[in-house]
Amino acid sequence: MATRFVGMTLVSWLAAVAVSFLLIRLVPGDPVDVFINHVNIRATDELIAAYREQWGLDRSLFVQFGLWLRGFFTLDWGTSFATGGAVTGELIARLGWSAAIGVGGIAVALLIGSALGFFAAAKPGGLADIGSRAFAVAGQALPAFAVGVVALWVLAAEFRWIQPFAGGPVERLFLPIGLVAFFSIGSVSRLVRAGFIETAGAPYLRTALAKGLPYRLALWRHGRQRAAIGLLAGIAPDLAWIVGGTAVAEIVFGVPGLSERVIEAVAHRDYPILQAYVALVALWIIIGLQLCTLFRRMLDPRLEATGQA
Amino acid sequence: MTLISSRPNLRKHLLTSAVCAAALMAPLTATKALADSVTVGQTFLASGLDPAEGSTGWALVTHGIAEQLFRVSHDGEVVPNLASSAEQQDDGSWMVTLADNRFFSDGTPVTADLVAASLNRTGEVNASARATAGRLTFEAVDAATLRVTSEQPTPILPSILAEWAFPVYLETDGDPLFTGPFAVETIEAGSSIEMVPNAFYEGAEQRPDVTIRRIADGQSLALAFASGEIDLAFNLPIETLSIFDGNDDQSVTTFPVAYQYMMWMNTQSPALSNVLVRRAIDLAINRDDLVAAARAGVPATGAFAAAYPFAAEGPLPYDPAAAAALLDDAGWAMGADGVREKDGERLELVLWAYPQRPDLVTFQPVVRAALADLGIAVTTQVTESPSDVAASGEFDLFLWAQHTAPAGDPGLFLSLFFETGSSRNYAGWSSDEYDATIAELRTAIDPEDRIALAQQAQELIAEGAPVSFLVTPEWHVGLSSDLAGYEPWGSDYYVIRPDFGISQ
Repeated sequence: MATRFVGMTLVSWLAAVAVSFLLIRLVPGDPVDVFINHVNIRATDELIAAYREQWGLDRSLFVQFGLWLRGFFTLDWGTSFATGGAVTGELIARLGWSAAIGVGGIAVALLIGSALGFFAAAKPGGLADIGSRAFAVAGQALPAFAVGVVALWVLAAEFRWIQPFAGGPVERLFLPIGLVAFFSIGSVSRLVRAGFIETAGAPYLRTALAKGLPYRLALWRHGRQRAAIGLLAGIAPDLAWIVGGTAVAEIVFGVPGLSERVIEAVAHRDYPILQAYVALVALWIIIGLQLCTLFRRMLDPRLEATGQA
Repeated sequence: MTLISSRPNLRKHLLTSAVCAAALMAPLTATKALADSVTVGQTFLASGLDPAEGSTGWALVTHGIAEQLFRVSHDGEVVPNLASSAEQQDDGSWMVTLADNRFFSDGTPVTADLVAASLNRTGEVNASARATAGRLTFEAVDAATLRVTSEQPTPILPSILAEWAFPVYLETDGDPLFTGPFAVETIEAGSSIEMVPNAFYEGAEQRPDVTIRRIADGQSLALAFASGEIDLAFNLPIETLSIFDGNDDQSVTTFPVAYQYMMWMNTQSPALSNVLVRRAIDLAINRDDLVAAARAGVPATGAFAAAYPFAAEGPLPYDPAAAAALLDDAGWAMGADGVREKDGERLELVLWAYPQRPDLVTFQPVVRAALADLGIAVTTQVTESPSDVAASGEFDLFLWAQHTAPAGDPGLFLSLFFETGSSRNYAGWSSDEYDATIAELRTAIDPEDRIALAQQAQELIAEGAPVSFLVTPEWHVGLSSDLAGYEPWGSDYYVIRPDFGISQ
């Protein structure tokens, strides 16, 4: 099982980075040209050739990919075209911020969303149920960027309750994590609610109640596994949102994370930064999906037996 | 031997510059810091401290950390900085004399051998340092004198040494050290730089500690300024300025920058191959309408922002009636549907812009409307790859933004974009008279001669109309009361200067 897990992860990741490697280079705009325009220097043929050689762009795509792949595994992710700095050090320094926002955001969403979903299932139509629905609709309907700017305006500019730019790490992470969580709470709560609602109608719950267990305790004991399985199946798409939401949060709140750097890299056609970012994001999503599958099979061995994911 | 510093005009410029520098430095002894510490918010930040890497040299200079031997002044002139003078020798090399009493931030005196070591390393490592005159070689003649030789002869070495690629630094076992008014205390890549006054730079005791914080999004930058977390917000988006109306503690100051907005006219395009059509288009555009659309800027007078001594005299004419007459003369008669025709061909053009400069996209409908009134049907296109489209020649009109004098000299832009066969002559224009003027400019040494030749070149461009110069844009800087007297200038090349944060 472990071998298959590692094998699937590696193959999926390799396919993702190979396709992205090609796609990034198909984006119109030559990096040397973009750089020379940006820094206002004379674009002689010699200068262009010197940069192409220095950045390895004079080699075939196949060789470039091979060198990049070797570099990635040896933690030499190349040199940024725009800044001239080492990509590995720069992105690893930023990885902590992004991980804190992404993992923090999903953790808060799971905590609040699960509680909300449980209480929504325990009393359909009640306050928790209405709140859960409101979060779900808001998560689908509101633009994340606008929500972030409004939060910034109200909490930092108007009331000055928080210093999202100049404060300490906790203060700087509070709003970004809140933003990522805000847009996931709705989906988490509805998934959890659906799992518990299914249990609420099951015959074994009636048996548990007949034994004298309080309703909420019985629902929790007998429904949590089913809710967890449903949540693991349904949360997978949110892994991609975590990446997108983290990007929005980093840009709006000025957090020096991975995504915030990538926006600039796109404008500069900074291939080493873009390629390393895509590789890291692909790793995060593929491992996340594989772990979701693994946990579901652990919770429900029937899935393993039938080969379902 | 050509003794640059003895020439009357250059001597006048250098003297003026020295007086300006003295005026800048002298009040420091009688002034004080406006605050103990200030925070600057801007969308860009040095990613490291090695000035030979990428464009880091530019960032370090604009942050007030590093300095070059020469710099561009408030008035757009190249003036001495760490150097005091430069003289061209008969063999084409240059002798650069260093200014007295200049130190790195650890107290090490700036000497010719240290300058040579750093700039030779930069020349070897960074291709951008070889862009204008090939590889420069620096050799210490004595403690205060450098001999500089260039692969390609140049009469404008001071201007080249004012380019962003040439900050002077002292290599150490750790991070390099610099000579600017501020020294780096800590750097968090991509996020912030904490700086303290360079104790060995005159007037250090009057300067505040400075934190530079990178905030990539313009809206967020404005809100950070509104929240009071930063004292200076560099380059606020125009739509955010109303936030600060009526605010006594915060103000916004606006200044013109050297990134000119222009429109290439493809002289290889069938309709635009006739100079009368190109001149008609130039005459038909009301630059005030463009300024109103962008809600900032001033009408351009030529290739360069008005602050430069080699800028053309303005204003550029706006005369729709004369434009219509030119099109009539060119044989383009007004058709029944309001679009001009000639030999059965309608006068239809494609106008390109790129979203990296949003103002250019804003200009598209304004230009289209102006040309529609003239009987020219314009369709608009937007591309993410402006250089590719421009270089391909597959365009009629192309809205463009360009810093036209990044090192305080007009030669680079005028030759690179307009000389026959030049790599970025996107308009495909060719003029023997213009080429001869640029050849003369290339060898001219006297600043007054260079100014006259640059202005003559702009007149020839106006006659040939391969381009229409449109607007000199303006940027907006938010200032807290602690920095109320700060005057931004020099685009984004000198954001933090020796007078930063000091009451005048």
